[in-house]
Amino acid sequence: MAEFSSLPGIDLPSPTLSARLRELADYLAAPAAGRLTEEQRALSLGIAGRLITDVAARLDSAIDTGALWRDWLADGLPGPERFAAACFARAEEHRWREQSAQQNGPPEMLPREPAGASDEELTVREPLSAADQAYLTLQIADRRRFDALGHPALGIADLDPMIFRALLHDIAAWRLGQISQDHRRAAALGEAVRAALDRHADERGIDAAAKAYHDMLAECGALFDTAATAIARHDWPVLIALAAAALHRSYGDMTLALLTADTAALPSLFAPLRLDRIALAPLEASLAMLSARAVAGQGDGK
Amino acid sequence: MRSEHIIHGRIDRAGLLISADAPLLRLQQRAGAGLGKPLALPHLARLVALAQRLQTDLSRPLHAADDHSDVHALVRIIPDSDGANVEISDWRTRPVAQPLMPALAATSVTPQSWTWECDQQLRMVALRAGAEAPPIPEEWEGQSLSELFELQPDEDGRFPVLRALARQIGFDGQRVRADGPAARVSMVVSGEALFDATARFTGFRGVAEPTDEPVEAHPPQVLVDPAFGSLPLSDPIFGRRIDGALRGPLSRIIATAETISGQFDGPIRADYARYAGDIAHAGRHLLGLVDDLADLQNIERPGFKAAQDEIDLGDLARRAVGLLGMKAEEKGIRIDAPRTDDQMPATGEFRRVLQVLLNLLGNAIRYSPENSMIWIRVDREGDRAMVTVADQGQGIDPEQQAVVFEKFERLGRTDSGGSGLGLYIARRLARAMDGDLTVDSAPGQGARFTLSLPARAI
Repeated sequence: MAEFSSLPGIDLPSPTLSARLRELADYLAAPAAGRLTEEQRALSLGIAGRLITDVAARLDSAIDTGALWRDWLADGLPGPERFAAACFARAEEHRWREQSAQQNGPPEMLPREPAGASDEELTVREPLSAADQAYLTLQIADRRRFDALGHPALGIADLDPMIFRALLHDIAAWRLGQISQDHRRAAALGEAVRAALDRHADERGIDAAAKAYHDMLAECGALFDTAATAIARHDWPVLIALAAAALHRSYGDMTLALLTADTAALPSLFAPLRLDRIALAPLEASLAMLSARAVAGQGDGK
Repeated sequence: MRSEHIIHGRIDRAGLLISADAPLLRLQQRAGAGLGKPLALPHLARLVALAQRLQTDLSRPLHAADDHSDVHALVRIIPDSDGANVEISDWRTRPVAQPLMPALAATSVTPQSWTWECDQQLRMVALRAGAEAPPIPEEWEGQSLSELFELQPDEDGRFPVLRALARQIGFDGQRVRADGPAARVSMVVSGEALFDATARFTGFRGVAEPTDEPVEAHPPQVLVDPAFGSLPLSDPIFGRRIDGALRGPLSRIIATAETISGQFDGPIRADYARYAGDIAHAGRHLLGLVDDLADLQNIERPGFKAAQDEIDLGDLARRAVGLLGMKAEEKGIRIDAPRTDDQMPATGEFRRVLQVLLNLLGNAIRYSPENSMIWIRVDREGDRAMVTVADQGQGIDPEQQAVVFEKFERLGRTDSGGSGLGLYIARRLARAMDGDLTVDSAPGQGARFTLSLPARAI
């Protein structure tokens, strides 16, 4: 990235000016490329903020996450290129699912209330099949990627270990600046980093859940039907999960591949799930309605 | 969306937001701050600082963005010696429609609340605590909503969540009690119904808000476990013993065995996984027995009386088929159910009749050969409305027919399929509704169980 501190006529550029000039340089380097919309920026920034807050809270509950975030907002996030793709993929997935859900809404004709229906209508407790249990686990892993208000987030369990490690170290370094005089707490910080890494290594996130569900469906011969049904129901997390597992990719990678794919590329992308053009039609329609997608080969993303 | 009213806020001399109307506070919170914290909206903070420095009123357009929308408004800042007042008008957000998924209605969520989501079987798929909320229970994943929350009936003895489940609509005002890791809390739960693109109901999502209602140190006597169809337990001691001593441990055994069997924590030897599956199966059998015993205790108490709802046996038969259709499909069994226009008005308690039909249909599926057929017919004879469940199983000889409705009678079967109480309970229920349950069968010719109830004119 270009530095503008030595521009003639500008002595000490403010961070704002520097950022603007970097943005302009990027624009000039590729004027035809589509740019992030305000919504995409806000979503990605929010996701990054929640990620940093969550990781910091896991490192040390005494960290003032508000102060950390304010500092990093002012000075810039360390190593943003490390988690930009993850934040962007999550933001785009959220935009897509939100748009899809807005279109679905509740059915116009709600089921009529049965005559004499009781409030305590009987429901049957059926044991979960292995596939249903795997689906439930996938749903839970997916919903862990939201905060308490339902805003999109990155699950710590889903984070690449290297990204998690780097983020922990950056936050620990910031924290160390605050407590460097307190040797006992400073020493405990190193221990907290190691403990957080150990805990992370044992966690099973959405990738593990996706693989388990995929393998279970493949075993009982229901994989292809389930993928087609997921499209019909606009159950996008299931579709992404199954495709990711089939292609041995991470959920985040698969999301990015799907949301930046040209329509013509969809059949080959979903070839392992044997989804034909007819099955893919609702997916194509839904993607086509998502504005500002970063579609490969399309400058404006439309 | 455009708001006509003025949104107020107050900034102190140090630039801290010390009071704010809800929309402004929400933006501040979404930007990672709150009351008593510096204004976290950069554009607004700069305008406030400018107005304070110039000590003059300022009116400017305001642009802000949160996760879901861009906000455009007109802001007026009135500085004084102790800080500044902020008045925001012409508040517009885009997109116009509030997102349905996954953000919750912002107005209903507070920092003190839990947010939750469950699937169509009321199994919890999400549970999160707000910043100032009581801690959530540790093992909530996949638990039933009615296990996680002890449902309390409203003033009319109804459960809003179950009413909403039956109608597939949103609900509020469901009083519950829940066990957090630290303490037992009283809450009010509300939720909205969720649907997918095929208009299929997929569950609920909502908020649980703590209340000030005092909670006993020990769980109150649980009389109803409505989500699973367990019935009111008439004897408090019996009911408490069943719930406390058996149901909880059994549920944990089943859940743990299923986890091992499903190899969710990693692969294990195949025979070990099978053993765990056997444990889960036996556990479910025992849990069914607990339910049956509790049911038995209830219907055998003196004065037991069923409600007299206006029901349609055709509709109830189709509901039973809907609930057990998957089970039949697993064995390749076809069920010939009454057509949708096949009505048979009768009088009886809705859920009790459904319970009887589920028992009859469940037995028919369990004891029918694979790829066979089950018929359900509705009929009327004089003042009796009848529904008959007929199968192609091995049939029941006359001697066995005489005892098939006895307690714990399993006709010599030793598999873990049932407790031997189902048909006894079903007949007791039928008779409590001024009806009867009879069987007609011959060895090798299948069995026909007929539930008859008082007929009702349309």
